[in-house]
Amino acid sequence: MSSITTPQANIYWLASYPKSGNTWTRAFIANLLHEEPEPVDINEFHTGAIASGREWVEAALDFDINELSHDEIDLLRPAAYRWLSQQLETPGYHKIHDAYTYLANDEPLIPIEATKGALYLVRNPLDVVVSFAHHNHCTIDKAIENMGNSKFAFCSGPKRIHNQLRQWLLSWSEHVISWADAPDINTLVIRYEDMKNTPIETFTHMATFLELPNDIDTVTAALEHCKIEKLQAQEAEKPFKEKSAKAESFFRKGQVGDWQNTLTDEQIKLLINDHRDLMQRFGYLDNHDQPITTYSTQE
Amino acid sequence: MQMYTAFGLSINSEIELPPLLNSDTQQADIQIIIGKVNKNGLDTPAKKGLFSQLAANELWLHVPNIAWFYVTDGNKIVVESEANADAQSIRLYLLGSCLGAIMHQRNRLVIHGNAIRVGDGCIVFAGNSGNGKSTLAAAFHQRGYDILADDLAVIDEQWNVQPSYPQIKLWHDTAKKLDIDIKGLKRIRFQVDKYAYPIKKGFYNKPLPIKAIYLLNNHNQDEFLFEPIKGVDKFNPLRNNTYRINYLDGLGLKKQHFKLSSQLANKIDVTRITRPNDGFQLDKLVDLIEADLAKNEGNA
Repeated sequence: MSSITTPQANIYWLASYPKSGNTWTRAFIANLLHEEPEPVDINEFHTGAIASGREWVEAALDFDINELSHDEIDLLRPAAYRWLSQQLETPGYHKIHDAYTYLANDEPLIPIEATKGALYLVRNPLDVVVSFAHHNHCTIDKAIENMGNSKFAFCSGPKRIHNQLRQWLLSWSEHVISWADAPDINTLVIRYEDMKNTPIETFTHMATFLELPNDIDTVTAALEHCKIEKLQAQEAEKPFKEKSAKAESFFRKGQVGDWQNTLTDEQIKLLINDHRDLMQRFGYLDNHDQPITTYSTQE
Repeated sequence: MQMYTAFGLSINSEIELPPLLNSDTQQADIQIIIGKVNKNGLDTPAKKGLFSQLAANELWLHVPNIAWFYVTDGNKIVVESEANADAQSIRLYLLGSCLGAIMHQRNRLVIHGNAIRVGDGCIVFAGNSGNGKSTLAAAFHQRGYDILADDLAVIDEQWNVQPSYPQIKLWHDTAKKLDIDIKGLKRIRFQVDKYAYPIKKGFYNKPLPIKAIYLLNNHNQDEFLFEPIKGVDKFNPLRNNTYRINYLDGLGLKKQHFKLSSQLANKIDVTRITRPNDGFQLDKLVDLIEADLAKNEGNA
């Protein structure tokens, strides 16, 4: 891990494949920074715009981008992020689902000069697939196919305008490796399973990396406010705006190992075949190709 | 040189602007000329953005790979094209950001929205790109309503929306939804799957008093919401739906805009519509807006 930063590098990217703990992390950050005793409203996290937010990028460019192609817009995004980063006086925390990719002109989509750091969240793909299928209201098999697809992207259809810019996700493995091994940016990779199993240690580590309050009392209080049961209770009372229209709810189970109750042997085999190397690297597979079901904290 | 008319003004342009109606006026209100634009921007900018610079009565804009533009005094646009830029792309930015800035410089209120004629006045559908303004206007047009403006609703000092030009821009999927065959239509740029739909019949070419603005939003729920906005609460939505609001500060027009917006807020109904984002349910939305218009007419 190397680090090159400049005085204008004010953005911390909260990067992940979908359904890997990004919203939980934003809920945690929002509660860390919240000075009231009540939990932050799930619809009011305001941790920062998503990188693919059309209005956020357009605010930097000052001209209409809705009649530019996805590729044309992508070529403008690095300059927009550099400019947006320069406008920040304190670190900004911006969610991103795009993989760390390079544009046609070889420039990285996410410029080093704007990037103070990247917190990358990784989760066992056997669990991601179950949650991803629920989120997109598709079959597990379709979700497996999407996670193995090197050309997978959000908001990529050319026939209409999308509320967000196109996001190349690539395959799950390619997404993980793109961020975990991104050269020159200051990256902290955190496993979802460690967020669940050793929350205080893991979230303190995250808060420290992100230059946020990291004393035990503040971290503990923030974690209490964004327990899955509490997020679910808020969603039961009032719809969560980030839920996809087709999904029944956004905050579902948030469990580790739920795949054992859901996936068939064939589906497990398919996912392992698609993602073996990365699953081994992040401790989701043992040396005998068997999925790991109990986790020890990984450094 | 060709003389056109749009937004109640005559425009003399060295660049062809095919969607605009021709004019036989001799006196041009606005000149669009091909010339040199300083690549470094303005001499003394009041506001410097990434690709834009602003000062009182001046906008400098660079759209990478397309052109540099210099827009001044509410009556002149100078264009310098980039090497490989196509005419369609340049035209889009002339008719969008540049004419938008001209209208600001002329102290017009410019709402990012579409206007249709209703009775002896007009209503405007406003909202962010992708919220369905053009789709909705085209659906009303199919029900026999006249179109007054697409994308830029320019409001003059008598609180009339000025007609723009007889065209609506529609994405491929929108055209399909409206049963419009794209085969006979021209793409607005070859790079995007969006089409120029000419309004051959049903373009209203005279200014009409604005009666109401509908703000278009969507959510992940199943129901349609119509929320009338009252009093001072109208001001922020009018501000947020002002076309290229970021230009106003640098142009030194913030105070003037505040005054105009407040006056407009007092004159018109403003209603926020929130529709399901899963499936447009266009016919239902048009029905609901017609019912809302009839109700407001009854109250008037």
